[in-house]
Amino acid sequence: MRALIVEDELLLNEELEEQLLDEQFTVDTAFNFMDARELLSGEIYDIVLLDLTLPDGDGLDLLKMIKKSGHHEMDTAVIILTARGAIEDRVEGLELGSDDYLSKPFAMPELRARIHAVLRRKFKISDNEITIGKLTVNLDHLQVSFNHRPVDVTDTEYKMLRYLFLNKNRTITRIALAEHIWGNKIDDRFSLDFINSHMKNIRKKLAESGAPDLIETVYGVGYKVKAYETQ
Amino acid sequence: MKLNNKILISNVLLSFFMLIVTGFGMYYVVNSTIYDELDFHLMQHKTDIQKQLSEQPESLDEIQRLGGLGSYEWVEISPFPNNTSSIKNTFTTIDTVRYAEVSQLPEAYRKLTTTLTVNNEPFVLEIYEEVAAWEKISMTILLSVLAALFIWVILLYVVNQYVFGRILSPFYSTVDRLEQISSPTQVGEPFPEANTYEIKVLNGALNNMLGQIKSSFEDQKKFIQNASHELLTPLSIIRQKAEKILSDPENLERKDIERVHEIQQTAVRLTRLSNALLLISRVENKQFSLDDDIHISGIVEKALNELHDFIDLKKLKIHFDKREEIGLSGNRELVHSAVYNIIQNAIKFSPDGGNILIFMGRDPSNASVLSVRDEGPGIPDHLIDEVFNRFKKGHKMNDSGNSPGLGLSIVQSVCELHGFRCTASNNEGKGVTFSIHF
Repeated sequence: MRALIVEDELLLNEELEEQLLDEQFTVDTAFNFMDARELLSGEIYDIVLLDLTLPDGDGLDLLKMIKKSGHHEMDTAVIILTARGAIEDRVEGLELGSDDYLSKPFAMPELRARIHAVLRRKFKISDNEITIGKLTVNLDHLQVSFNHRPVDVTDTEYKMLRYLFLNKNRTITRIALAEHIWGNKIDDRFSLDFINSHMKNIRKKLAESGAPDLIETVYGVGYKVKAYETQ
Repeated sequence: MKLNNKILISNVLLSFFMLIVTGFGMYYVVNSTIYDELDFHLMQHKTDIQKQLSEQPESLDEIQRLGGLGSYEWVEISPFPNNTSSIKNTFTTIDTVRYAEVSQLPEAYRKLTTTLTVNNEPFVLEIYEEVAAWEKISMTILLSVLAALFIWVILLYVVNQYVFGRILSPFYSTVDRLEQISSPTQVGEPFPEANTYEIKVLNGALNNMLGQIKSSFEDQKKFIQNASHELLTPLSIIRQKAEKILSDPENLERKDIERVHEIQQTAVRLTRLSNALLLISRVENKQFSLDDDIHISGIVEKALNELHDFIDLKKLKIHFDKREEIGLSGNRELVHSAVYNIIQNAIKFSPDGGNILIFMGRDPSNASVLSVRDEGPGIPDHLIDEVFNRFKKGHKMNDSGNSPGLGLSIVQSVCELHGFRCTASNNEGKGVTFSIHF
């Protein structure tokens, strides 16, 4: 999988590159409009992380270029990363064919989850599942099962589980979880308590269905799903 | 009142004053001139009679006949009453009837009463001179003067209206345009160069100042846009780095974890703050279009749906009293965020298991209203008026890391943009009611 990161901020670009390398992507980086245009005209990428505000041009123009060149059978997925929180920008970006939109600052696990979702859509993978210790979470539908027996969870609980499973073996902060579920409109202190209560419910439901306690609480930080043998 | 009307009124008042003063003055002057003239005439007449009587008449009849000779005036000569001493020339004005057979209406006469000596014997001489004819002349003069003045007043009005309209038209076009301008985005073309000095100065100053406001407004817009980008990108990096540390916490001290966690939380808080400020300034700079058709019930239901997790977890009971649908045009996202903030606020401060009453209908003044009533701790009375103000928190003034009170500021600026009114009041029992009056 080839990825291109278009981001003018050096530190952020590096961070994104590291994350994508972790995910086994082959990564190119561009720090400005001109470089990005050059790379895009020569290479075919599976995914482009695109910052809209570049020192020498508008990222939306790059988006138009990507979508126009349309390497037909293999369309490039684009996730816009921007600090321009304006609604109009978001709408315009999505209208121009971007696959997703993340407002800065975002949590890395969120980006990871979005990349997974975008790529699953791109490669038309449905009914994709992650199973850890016999506990299976469907990535596309509200479906959780343990040992092939369904576990009844609410929408929010499912979202939390899926997020943790997608980011297995990584500690997910409660803030990142709250933002994943409720977006960034919710007051943080307000919502963190709710993450705790939801987590309590999840543990209870998993215990009732006989699943082992896969979710580890990382004191003062958040949660982590440990998967020793990954599928 | 408009400037030209004020000038006009003062001119008309002055003219009326002049009209009245001139009218009365003229009347007085003409009248006194006439009486002087009449008196002079009467005195001459007396001299004439005295001359005529120097022919030594015999009897009183003869005297009366001679005295009246060659005269159209009314002359009466009578013997001098014995009991009176000699009288001087006395002028009086009387109303009397001369020829009862012609007219019963009394007419004004000027009368000279004096003594006449014929053959060394005193007689009383009374000469009457008709005033009416003269009075008619003086009235005619007066009326024509008044008519002239009246025409002048009317003329003044017309000329004022027209000439002032002409002279002041560049001034009024400036004023009209100023009335249209409610924000720096509407400044448009510069005001034209005028040939009247004052208007030239005025337009020049306006062009200068509005130009400065407009350019600083545009700078501000750019600044907001840039500031958000410039702030959010480094915040992004801080968050990324903090999360990186937290995602691998095994080899960290617990204290360090807490510190990093606090760094992360602060970065998130700062993000919310700058996003909220960005939104408010964008709203206040009118950078949103207001032409979506909105139904408030849909907005409320969407917000409730987004918040249902919190409602469920706090076991709150929501009563949505839909009396009357409210439809309006505005910006959907903004109205949604206002409604969302009010409901979220109610949820946040409600005790577990509490009730939230959402009412959609009409307020006592028959305006459409959406109100959200909670059973929370309420707001201290001295703070309730400031609850929508930026950076004031109704409840805790501490550093709990709660939202910096910007939620309600967003509500207020959205309301101002749309011309709504938002109010907060403590309930009689407990809790607060927040209302948006559309």
